[in-house]
Amino acid sequence: MEIAVLVKPVPDAETRLRPDPAGKGLDPEGVKWVLAGYDESAVEQALLLKESAPGTTVRAISYGPAVRADEVLRAAIALGCDRATSVEAPAGVADDPLVTAAALHLALSRFPASLVLCGKQTGDHESGLVGPAVAELLAVPEYGVAVNVRLDAGGAEMTLQQSVEGGLLRLRAKLPALVALQQAWNDPRTAKLPNILKSRKAPIDRVPAADVAAAVAARLPLATRRLAFRLPPPRTGAKMIEYKTPEEAAQKLVRILREKAKVFP
Amino acid sequence: MTGAVVWLERTSTGVAGASREAVGVARSIAGGGPVVGLLVGAGGPSAAERIPVDRLLLVDAPGLADASSAQLAALLAAAAAASGADSMVLAGTARGRDVVGRLAVRWGAAAATNVTDLVAGGSGELHVTRPVFGGRASETLELPGPRRILAPRPHAFAEPPPASAAPPSEALVLPDGFSALPGRGMEGFEPTVGSKGPELGEASIVVSGGRGLRTPESFHLVEELAESLGAAVGASRAVTDAGWRPSSYQVGQTGRAVSPQLYIAVGISGAIQHIVGMVSSRVIVAINSDAQAPIFKVADYGIVGDLFPILPALTAEIRRQRGLTGSAPG
Ligand SMILES: Cc1cc2nc3c(=O)[nH]c(=O)nc-3n(C[C@H](O)[C@H](O)[C@H](O)COP(=O)(O)OP(=O)(O)OC[C@H]3O[C@@H](n4cnc5c(N)ncnc54)[C@H](O)[C@@H]3O)c2cc1C
Repeated sequence: MEIAVLVKPVPDAETRLRPDPAGKGLDPEGVKWVLAGYDESAVEQALLLKESAPGTTVRAISYGPAVRADEVLRAAIALGCDRATSVEAPAGVADDPLVTAAALHLALSRFPASLVLCGKQTGDHESGLVGPAVAELLAVPEYGVAVNVRLDAGGAEMTLQQSVEGGLLRLRAKLPALVALQQAWNDPRTAKLPNILKSRKAPIDRVPAADVAAAVAARLPLATRRLAFRLPPPRTGAKMIEYKTPEEAAQKLVRILREKAKVFP
Repeated sequence: MTGAVVWLERTSTGVAGASREAVGVARSIAGGGPVVGLLVGAGGPSAAERIPVDRLLLVDAPGLADASSAQLAALLAAAAAASGADSMVLAGTARGRDVVGRLAVRWGAAAATNVTDLVAGGSGELHVTRPVFGGRASETLELPGPRRILAPRPHAFAEPPPASAAPPSEALVLPDGFSALPGRGMEGFEPTVGSKGPELGEASIVVSGGRGLRTPESFHLVEELAESLGAAVGASRAVTDAGWRPSSYQVGQTGRAVSPQLYIAVGISGAIQHIVGMVSSRVIVAINSDAQAPIFKVADYGIVGDLFPILPALTAEIRRQRGLTGSAPG
């Protein structure tokens, strides 16, 4: 069976964020692009499924400027994905989750899969909309905040858990479907050096920007437009509470929470 | 903009607080048009009797208490058609956001989640502000019309005052093709062992513990502090990796991102991977024996000291202030 895993290049967590000169987006200068955190869980889940069901192939699909997409696709191949598709963003196209979903939907129509995995959100825009929007475009059910997917009945069905208030919901569902992974419950593997080197030469299938432009055209009038991108005023460091006894520290903190911060329940 | 539909997410005790906040947001973008609440699941309109909407649409079907997001998206689109609304507001819970993604496609609308502020533009456009990069930056987006969907971040907006009278209600006619939509396929529920408090992602107060607790047994000091505040319990990855608590407790880059009103970090050093998961909390308190710990750089208030005497003193003081009995949780 075919599994597709949607991966997005996001700035490495240690990136020092800076607005671009127009103040409308992140300055990409010097940013190291890596697999989004939840997407790592999705890749790991895909590889675990592949190991459990012989004959399964895993295709990583990424949408974005080709250089960045290729970077994370090679990382996905180094981890063990079999194939990769780079969905090239047309120059200057709106950066909107529903536009992204339309582009990924085009790629999935060319490289169909019975199970589509993705992260529940990415660590940059954190919209959480791409997965469910792709599922709606594919007319398949989606299961969010998921952990621990297992295939049954020769890949016709799956069981999975959803991490919800107070515990885990166990679900049984038919394929095709889309599953958005919650957190690193599965402790994603790291790539081995020889595989990283091999991935540099791995072939990458392409969905050209012109095709993407046609596929997303209908969605563009509804795309959100970013008017500003700002950094919060720098935190000035904690106000330290002076105390002589633990009881005094406790009383002072409670008073601050109640009277100054106004967050005491 | 005229008129807005709000999904009133049911809880065991009524309507979710985040959905009540959504009603307030709907009122501010409805442009004087009606605000219509959609209530899905078993039971009549009584769950929503103090909710300040102008009208309630009801789908009273026990089988839909656990509706899938495809089903909810179809019901919301039908509610908008029935009321003529051109906006929708859904609480930004995990379930709410899944519905927004599907609905934006099905209903053909611009959408934004995690919204923390609204600026109504002059000529009909709507501007919203939302945190990005785990709260390390924020963006302002313009949502073009004619249709828009917003998912406010829980706790970002105040709940509107309750209504003095129950709103008129009527049943929503199920849209064509509804029965063909897939349900959720629920099989069972496994409660998290030992967790009694609110859910981590939605709690207004979170108390998290780190390696500074030293042993899995002493982690109960964090849980008792959380209980005294009615808070959810979180942990650093050091704690979940060591197996002291399950991975569902983990806050950070590879765990949950939280943005409560108050976040208390106990015995957590403040590694960047932890920070990105909590830095957008409104007020941050850190308790750590090392005055140089990086957590103090993002905290608003700090206590430098040994957590072992401080935590019980703090729990006792909070219980005293809140008039709670001092009995240890069972
Ligand atoms: C790819 C990747 C992803 C990661 N994702 C996450 C993530 O999602 N979440 C996360 O939390 N981490 C994550 N980490 C791990 C992170 O880098 C840190 O290792 C981790 O957060 C440390 O946890 P800690 O603060 O509990 O432990 P430590 O860093 O060991 O800090 C313990 C703190 O306790 C204090 N302390 C000790 N004794 C006492 C006492 N008696 N009283 C008061 N204070 C005391 C110490 O001063 C110290 O500051 C990730 C790492 C990587 C590489």
